[in-house]
Amino acid sequence: MDDFRSLKVLDHFRRAFEKLHIDYVMMRKILHMKFTMDGRRVPTIFNQSKESKGNQFLKSLGLYMLFSLIMIPFVFGNEIMFQMSIIYGMTMFFLMTSMIADFSVVLLDLRDTTILHTKPIHSKTINAAKFIHVLIYMVLLTGAFTLIPAIVMLFVHGISFFILFIVSICFILLFVIALTSLVYIFVLRFFSGEQLKDLINYIQIVLSIGIFVGYQIVLRAFDYTYLFKVYDFSWWHVFIPPMWFAAPYELFLLGNTDRPLIILTIIAIVVPMIAIYSYYRLMPSFERNLQKLMKNAGKPKSGKGKISLILERIVCFKKEERMFFRFAIQMMGEEREFKLKVYPSLGMALVFPFIFIYNELSYRTIEEISNGNMYLWIYFVNMVIGTIVYTLQFSSNYKGAWIFPVAGFRHPGLMYRASLKAFLVKFYVPIFLFVSIIYSYIFTSRIILDLIIIFLAAILQSLFVIHITYRGSFPFSKPFESLKQGSSNTILTFGLMFISAIFAGVHFLILQIPYGSESYLIAIVIVVSVMWKRMFKNN
Amino acid sequence: MNFGTHNVLQGIDLDVYRGQIIGYIGPNGAGKSTTLKIMLGLLDDYEGNVEIFGENIANGDVSYKRWIGYVPENAELYDTLTAAEYLTFVGELYGMSRKEAEEKALALLTQFEMEDVFHQRISSFSKGMRQKVILVSSMLHNPDLIFLDEPLSGLDANSVMVIKDIMEQLKEQGKTIFYSSHMMDIVERISNRIVLLVNGKIAADGTFEELKEQNKEGSLEGIFNQLTGFDAHKETAEKFVQIVTGNESNG
Repeated sequence: MDDFRSLKVLDHFRRAFEKLHIDYVMMRKILHMKFTMDGRRVPTIFNQSKESKGNQFLKSLGLYMLFSLIMIPFVFGNEIMFQMSIIYGMTMFFLMTSMIADFSVVLLDLRDTTILHTKPIHSKTINAAKFIHVLIYMVLLTGAFTLIPAIVMLFVHGISFFILFIVSICFILLFVIALTSLVYIFVLRFFSGEQLKDLINYIQIVLSIGIFVGYQIVLRAFDYTYLFKVYDFSWWHVFIPPMWFAAPYELFLLGNTDRPLIILTIIAIVVPMIAIYSYYRLMPSFERNLQKLMKNAGKPKSGKGKISLILERIVCFKKEERMFFRFAIQMMGEEREFKLKVYPSLGMALVFPFIFIYNELSYRTIEEISNGNMYLWIYFVNMVIGTIVYTLQFSSNYKGAWIFPVAGFRHPGLMYRASLKAFLVKFYVPIFLFVSIIYSYIFTSRIILDLIIIFLAAILQSLFVIHITYRGSFPFSKPFESLKQGSSNTILTFGLMFISAIFAGVHFLILQIPYGSESYLIAIVIVVSVMWKRMFKNN
Repeated sequence: MNFGTHNVLQGIDLDVYRGQIIGYIGPNGAGKSTTLKIMLGLLDDYEGNVEIFGENIANGDVSYKRWIGYVPENAELYDTLTAAEYLTFVGELYGMSRKEAEEKALALLTQFEMEDVFHQRISSFSKGMRQKVILVSSMLHNPDLIFLDEPLSGLDANSVMVIKDIMEQLKEQGKTIFYSSHMMDIVERISNRIVLLVNGKIAADGTFEELKEQNKEGSLEGIFNQLTGFDAHKETAEKFVQIVTGNESNG
């Protein structure tokens, strides 16, 4: 049997585990099995011929290295507190989001309960295996993300800076894992059943948006419109983790012994330790409460059927289409994994258009902004289209799709149309309307024509995405596992997002031409209606 | 045993001896699976005392699980693994050596004529094959106490006969089997003691003969209906068919 390199590295720490009364041999076996399975995430039934070999996660590490290049500019310079806060902010954002998106599954795996906890193994060992499983991936991920910046640091700032960076990254890593788990632990403890599953969803959404907004706050913490050499402390910096970890640089390397810096440094050391310790203490109760996930004791939801009934009559004309529309709305509303993939980006879509305006406010007045073309930022709302429309093919209940061919539906075209409409009605239009209304208030009613163009561009983009990615499968008919195919998927997602950027660029150019918008509107109406007819014609 | 905020189980008092097959039955939601989970140490916020092999299971020592086999209802498997990998892994979890576990797993699966798929992934297996893998995984380590929760689901008639005989012979060997199922005719035939759970309480406990005497019903199905207070199966069926066919009258 082939062995995993990470496990061989782990063998060096065997003693430490045994000190903690963890059955190392057993833990290693569990990990070995977990890694074997991770290497096979793609279910065989679907991809028997062209199944991609090896661990997809490992393959995506290269891509993370590429991402990490955005941190390089912040390595240079002498405003250490500022630069390091930014770097740590990015790292934490990155680690936290991938922890939530990719490893929640590991933490919340229910199969472990029946398979592992029924065996004569102490739950401590099982929990340790779980933790190490996540930790090893997170270490690799962190390594990939910080390797290049760390090397640059070594050359720019020297060896002690480099060592300090590595040490603090270790603390951050532990902090992030513990923090995420602790949030789950608390949620699991105080809520139950369906409610709890929903809550996990919301927390994931709030966390991802929160981290993003938090990142903006870090930027704001430094008034970077003018250069400064001295760091000004405010009390609320205590609540911004990236700043804790930036403080030691000032303290140790620059010898700046201001009291706030000492406080922040202490926090940077103590808080991760407390987090890890509480994680260690609370893990058993976590496992116990995990059982709640298996129960479906939620109260049935009722009501709110009326609105969707009206909407359904407005947007769908045929009986079958209405049926699929309803089905798509329900799937999007109920499927946890779908929400998980989609809601965070929806949150971003809602926040992005305002953040850019807000940033701009530090340079210009609102009057100046309202005369410009800044409303094109609303294309950020369109950026979610790629991901979501693409994700519509997937479902955790993909097996249920057998019903469509059995019930005699051969052409998925009608279902595409209905699902697309459902997506627009349920997700896109509400956000777009909300942003539009506020934008119309800022930029006055002169932008209404452009907003209509942008809405049509959204439809056109969705059609593109369906055309590129669907290839004849029914919506909600593929397992999410096949979506997790590492780097190629990430590239695809980015490509799909980029379409919005192209649309925005075209729109910007059109604005420079007299009567450009009007002619563009006519052109886009024609293209959309032709494409719409052609793509859904086989019904 | 009180469990959680609402009582799933109330006053379950059972003594179980070696070499018995206990038919553990009851309507959906009566608390059968909960009892099994408590005994397996999956749930621990219960009130009361659970002793297995003479030891209180709440004492923190998990080694008693070494002698327990478990076939859960709706069993989950790590199905990206092959049967060989999965079974070897489970055997090792029970403290067997890798070689021993693998050889024994192959030998057992061969009895089910599954030696050809030993190195194939479980995700490609049919329901019956999966169930056989689960059955093998529950007995690989020669347990003394076996919990079977709906162990026959998905198996064909021949395999069912084999499993029934296996249970019978394991009992002869002094093993204790907790057999939980909704298939009353099988429970009736193989159990030497039947425990009926209704709403978290024991509604009947004894051999089939004793139960027959007390309840004046000819079959376990009849006793089950009587003790769970359900006598409307004819009416329910009629209603159902009426709705399916859309006829208002009895047609």
